[in-house]
Amino acid sequence: MIDVSPVSRPTTCPNPACAEPVDPTANFCEACGTDLAVRDGTTAAVAAAAATCANCGTTAEPGAADDGYCTGCGLRRRDPAEHVETVLDGVAGVSDRGRVRETNQDAMALGRHLAGTVAAVVCDGVSTTLTPELAATTAADTALEALLRGRSDGATRTRDAVLAAGKAVGKLGRAPHGPSCTLVSALVQPLPDAEGVDVHIGWIGDSRAYWLAPPDSPEPSRALTRDHSWATEMIAVGMDPAEATADRRAHQITRWLGPEDRPPVPELAHLRPTADGLLLLCTDGLWNYLDDPAELAAAALGPAAESGPLAAAVALTALALEAGGRDNITIVLVPVTVRSRS
Amino acid sequence: MTRSAAPPSEPSFTVEVDQNPYLHVGAAQVDAIVTVTASGAGSAATAGGGAVEIILVDCSSSMSGSKIHAAREATVAAVRQIRDGVRFAVVAGTHDVAQVYPSSGTAVADDRTRHEAVQAARSLLASGGTAIGGWLTLARHIAEQHPGAVRHAILLTDGQNGEPPDVLSGVLAECAGAFVCDCRGVGTDWNVDELRRISSALLGGFEFIREPARLADDFAEMMSTAMGKGLADVLLRLWTPKGSRIRFVKQVDPTIADLTDRRTETGRPGSPAAQGDYPLGVWGDETRIYHVCLDVPAQAVGAEMLAARVGLRRAGTDDVLGQGLVKALWTDDPALSTRISRQVAHFTGQAELADSIQEGLAALRTGDERTATARLGRAVALAAGSGNDETAQLLGRVVDVVDAPTGTIRLRRGVDKADEMSLDTRSTRTVRVRGTD
Repeated sequence: MIDVSPVSRPTTCPNPACAEPVDPTANFCEACGTDLAVRDGTTAAVAAAAATCANCGTTAEPGAADDGYCTGCGLRRRDPAEHVETVLDGVAGVSDRGRVRETNQDAMALGRHLAGTVAAVVCDGVSTTLTPELAATTAADTALEALLRGRSDGATRTRDAVLAAGKAVGKLGRAPHGPSCTLVSALVQPLPDAEGVDVHIGWIGDSRAYWLAPPDSPEPSRALTRDHSWATEMIAVGMDPAEATADRRAHQITRWLGPEDRPPVPELAHLRPTADGLLLLCTDGLWNYLDDPAELAAAALGPAAESGPLAAAVALTALALEAGGRDNITIVLVPVTVRSRS
Repeated sequence: MTRSAAPPSEPSFTVEVDQNPYLHVGAAQVDAIVTVTASGAGSAATAGGGAVEIILVDCSSSMSGSKIHAAREATVAAVRQIRDGVRFAVVAGTHDVAQVYPSSGTAVADDRTRHEAVQAARSLLASGGTAIGGWLTLARHIAEQHPGAVRHAILLTDGQNGEPPDVLSGVLAECAGAFVCDCRGVGTDWNVDELRRISSALLGGFEFIREPARLADDFAEMMSTAMGKGLADVLLRLWTPKGSRIRFVKQVDPTIADLTDRRTETGRPGSPAAQGDYPLGVWGDETRIYHVCLDVPAQAVGAEMLAARVGLRRAGTDDVLGQGLVKALWTDDPALSTRISRQVAHFTGQAELADSIQEGLAALRTGDERTATARLGRAVALAAGSGNDETAQLLGRVVDVVDAPTGTIRLRRGVDKADEMSLDTRSTRTVRVRGTD
């Protein structure tokens, strides 16, 4: 059903001048040193590229209070992360400012190891802290790097990546208003026998991971994460779900990466899918409007099968925007193909 | 998360911007009415840097009789309003200048010094000429001993300045920023333009006191108002983008005062944008309104520009005490770009009203009846249309109004000079848009 195979395993160096056989677990080609990890679509890179005003060439002063306007010609600065689309060998992401917020404080980072591993991170800056977008981009990039470069097993690597992201965010500011964000990450590793993939999810806060599959799939659609939010925790200790979700505090997050001395320990989930599907990472800008796994699957699988995961991510973004777009929306889709199944 | 509001003792300003930000394609002029309200300004008695009050009384020979008597009582009334701890001085002005109390510098107000000052004021005598520049210079020397203090002077005169015009200009340039000066003219021999120039340069108020007997109440009221102002050396900082040109910056309420030429450049060297400070003098908890008008480089449809950032601050500090943003958005939709901000239209009219009165009266003095009729007619229409009733009433004493809405008038013969001076003095006083205030 999915026309891309994200976790194919190259056996030779991608550098055409080299083309030597490579160790699938190595970070660099032993023969020519080519980096075997490929990253793309990090929102931080987008922001850095747009620090100069396109109209007058004035460079933005980092941290200066410019109210969102160029300090030279006064023209409104385009938020470089207003709408970012990225595709990386069949993994796709969309991050959008939405219709209400002035800036996009979400971030995403996608990476792929040429040896076959795919990693993705989605973060949501906590808007009540200072420069939350900085927390989000820092956390996403730091976690991605650790996921791609780490050598330990998937669960440990996921845990270490989120802790590393927490430490990096902690250096950005001081409590109580230092930059803070949520994080959800996915690490998709091909199994050694090529008989499927291992999926490791790690998260802090209320950004979510879903498994999306057709209604009759033996690997049914479902949420892979449980929010670290007031409502979820209250429901866990016995509060009526309707009452909890209606509460003013329902959306307050109870864990985050921020300026606190010790980064919180991430929660982890593991999945070894028995059938093909789509892995979705998203911020609450999407799931506030659409949180039912079956409905998400119904909205995403068609466009993904027809035009690929970017089309599916664009379709989900459009749904959230049409529903109101009150928050930033970030969606990453990783198509997962379970090979050798008949 | 919103930050908690500053405690009431900390001075802060709220800045409201009224404008139509939409400009038609190709348009470049941006007009904004900026309403500034201070809170937590404190009073003269509690001002951090202290407070200095200087009373400058005209004691030229023309003041003899009822006027010097009224001036004595007015000075006494003012001295009695000065609160404990405020530094003060009383100066008698003639062609020369003499400090009446204390003999030099300032005294700190308490029961004893106020009593001594009252005794000294009662002995003021009228003799000699009028050299206002000399009086202001002495006030400056006194004020400069107390930098950072709330420094305020009251100037009373009944005659024209005897100094050459350029002497006074030089003195005003030196005194600007050293102290704020409220001016009062008594009798009909003083020059309205001259006193307007002084009060405007020194950021103070300006009134014509027709009846000398009213002086004491007026002085007491003026001093009481001054005692309620504890925030000195307030500046309006205006940031404007690269390529923009400021047409004017005017105070438009409570009175019209053109600040355009008072600008001090404060932009960072090498910065492509411009930034300048305009002194706003001493503030209490009050509201003043400004009109900022500038040209910006026209942009394509859909572009949004920050045309100006208006910040309030105190001299010598970089703390922004309040800020407002003036924007420009280019559109090809006439429904958006032709909307006129009610506030901009109103205060543009009030400024034209002031100009029309002053030009009309000047034409009247030179015998140019045609211009006088046209300008004063326009003033009558503007005053009636904007609800500036007090000005409309004063106009009615100088011209015969045939039809106010159309500004149809007839010049009147034998106008009382005091009526003409009242109108002239009052011309810069504005009213707010009806239904606001």
